[in-house]
Amino acid sequence: MGPSGAGKTSLLEAIAGLRRAAGRLQVSGERLLDSAARIDVPPEKRRIGYVPQDSLLFPHLTAEDNVRFGLAKRGTSSSAALFDEVVGILEIRDLLARYPATLSGGERQRVALARALATRPRLLLLDEPLAALDVALRGRILPYLLRVRDDMRIPFLYVTHNAGEALLLARAVVLLQDGRVLASGPPSDVLAAHPVEAVDPGASFDNIFDGALEKLPDEDGVGRLATPGGTPLLVPLDPGFPAGRAVFSVAPEDVLLSVRPLNGISARNVFEGIVAGLDRFPNDAIVHVTAGGLAWRAHLTSGSVKELALAPGRRVWIAVKTQAFRRLR
Amino acid sequence: MRKIPVLALCLVLAGLGAAAEAPAADAPKPLLVFAAASLTESLQEIGKAYEAKTGTPVTFSFGASSDLARQISAGAPADVFFSADTAKMDGLEKGGFVRKEARREFLSNQLAVVVPLSSTAKVAGPRDLLQFRKLALADPQGVPAGVYTRHWLESAGLWKEIEPRVVPTLDVRAALAAVETEAAPAGVVYSTDARVSRKVKAIFETPTDPPILYSAAIVARSSHPAAKGFVEFLQTPEPIAVFGRAGFASAAVPAAK
Amino acid sequence: MIREDFSILFLTLRVAAVSTIVILPLGVAAGWALSRGRGAGRQIGETLLALPLVLPPTAVGLLLLQFLRPRGVAGRLLDRAGIEVLFTWKAVAVATAVMSFPLLVRPVRAAFSEVDPRLLGVARSLGHGPFSVFRRVALPLAWRGILAGTVLAFSRALGEFGATILVAGNIPGRTQTLALAIFHRTQIGRDGEALRLVGVVVVLAFLAILATEALERRRSRPGGAPA
Repeated sequence: MGPSGAGKTSLLEAIAGLRRAAGRLQVSGERLLDSAARIDVPPEKRRIGYVPQDSLLFPHLTAEDNVRFGLAKRGTSSSAALFDEVVGILEIRDLLARYPATLSGGERQRVALARALATRPRLLLLDEPLAALDVALRGRILPYLLRVRDDMRIPFLYVTHNAGEALLLARAVVLLQDGRVLASGPPSDVLAAHPVEAVDPGASFDNIFDGALEKLPDEDGVGRLATPGGTPLLVPLDPGFPAGRAVFSVAPEDVLLSVRPLNGISARNVFEGIVAGLDRFPNDAIVHVTAGGLAWRAHLTSGSVKELALAPGRRVWIAVKTQAFRRLR
Repeated sequence: MRKIPVLALCLVLAGLGAAAEAPAADAPKPLLVFAAASLTESLQEIGKAYEAKTGTPVTFSFGASSDLARQISAGAPADVFFSADTAKMDGLEKGGFVRKEARREFLSNQLAVVVPLSSTAKVAGPRDLLQFRKLALADPQGVPAGVYTRHWLESAGLWKEIEPRVVPTLDVRAALAAVETEAAPAGVVYSTDARVSRKVKAIFETPTDPPILYSAAIVARSSHPAAKGFVEFLQTPEPIAVFGRAGFASAAVPAAK
Repeated sequence: MIREDFSILFLTLRVAAVSTIVILPLGVAAGWALSRGRGAGRQIGETLLALPLVLPPTAVGLLLLQFLRPRGVAGRLLDRAGIEVLFTWKAVAVATAVMSFPLLVRPVRAAFSEVDPRLLGVARSLGHGPFSVFRRVALPLAWRGILAGTVLAFSRALGEFGATILVAGNIPGRTQTLALAIFHRTQIGRDGEALRLVGVVVVLAFLAILATEALERRRSRPGGAPA
């Protein structure tokens, strides 16, 4: 993570071997780069998959040929099985005969992921894979990423501006600034210590809630998410999706704040809380609120913050519509 | 804003150029003479003498007589035409492009087989030309030097065999140059050309039957007052001596050996 | 007479085809190198490439003549190998190859430059070495530019005159191309026959232009499935 220009993409390119670099790089015990020992393994031999920001599918090949591109060099009997596995995990079987120009952004990202995975790399580099997608689409692709992480067990190096993605996916976060490492460690620690550097002002970082989901007895389409230590949240329930452990997210833009108690509004998740902190940016601000036993982030304009005279300790009410929640898992 | 000085500079230069071209009101207009390439050195010397004598400068355009004749029939502003054969002149006269009354024939030449200085080839007769893989000739289909050569070889019955080896060039001096640079191992040019060049030697010479005959005439469109005078000057003793030194034969004086 | 015209046409087409085929691999390689290169080497390459475009064809012909004549740098070697080039169809091919080479390389270079370098990087990360990446990614994506360059070079080869006449002469049946024949027929006063050949040349030019336009139109359609 890190602000624009911190060197995140350059770092990925250097690890992939696509950019000249000096220093030492070791992956799974193998030295891929060692300037002192004059070792510099060319990119085609590093076995590191790379999914760039714009998917970058080969426009002259079908989706299937794109996915098989890496296999052409390592065609073995196991490659057929791997191909099927990857196509299955990313659910792209119906897209295989189509050309990239005819695919949507989300479909392209999935094919790009499949392409990188089909070579069974020992490390996967993802450069803001969800940045070019709209919020709804992001929610739909995240589950695939989780599946890749959990079912294929391939380590990722994932670049993002989005703290929500980091919290959800990462075991550790490395924060870069101006080409140097500013901090590293568990995501919550790093983000708590450096909220401003980690996040691009203006980029939302979603609120993530992990809990047990059950259907409401007398209402269809709505479920109750019981969160540990917090008030249950009312969230949309897709009939196809199973109850049980679930993860939901809601964008900070969808968190409404009021300095007066709220009555007669359509939102069904209304809680009283206290402002725990404020991250101010030039034109907007992230207001941290503890409400209903949960930590919330609300994205407001600087004007609103001023008008409501928000400050740490101030009593506020938050309101979030059921429909604003998105299921991640 | 910076465009104005540049524009002004261009206009000044254009103006100077125009001024340079416009002759002073009292300087005589140069005489433009189109002449066969083989006459280059001789005519240049004669031209200087003419200017010294009459004050009229002479400008020459040398080339293949066939090409020059074509230019004249297309309206080129020549004043005098000096061709290496009568055929081209006949053609122009028939078309009304040259004046009949001032036409004169008075120079002759011979053909010479030339090879580079380093060559050891020997030619005793036209048949010996078959030893050469390539033979540089002025275009045998149009340029007089090439046409004379072709007639010579046709009457020796050798043209069919030699034709496939021919490298046709734009004019006789180009054929000479081809042999000078050894692009071709041998060539047939005029004797006078062989004498001019220091990089080739003539190993065989022959007159032709009918003989080579140069022809000079005034171009019909020309209104230059000195045109007639120049053609007549060419036949006076001093210019004739210049031609003689170069190896041309004249009707009155045989070629110097 | 018409038969002669056809043999001149076919000679011209044959030699232009040979010349274009010979420069094709060189041109594609040069275009690729120039599209990837940086620094002094690339500058020098670009300058050399532009020379045949900027110099008068006769100047290029003269340089070739110096090179190929028996005492020249290449002439000496060819002579020893018993290979005749000057004043044969091979000299025509050499002259047209040199003059049309830049016209091949420029569109090729432009086409390769349009290929997103990140695509090539991704291909490398998927296990393909530099040549495989060139063959499987760069080449298929640039093929239209390569084809356009080929048509352009071929057209130029058809019409070459200045350099050709100096190194190959104007030998009927051997080196007399359409352009040279038109000139020659005019020189010997056969204007009518010369005009006939001009007609042939105009038809050829039309075909070349139509072909190039058709290619240009396909290129500007939104990228995606190639033909």
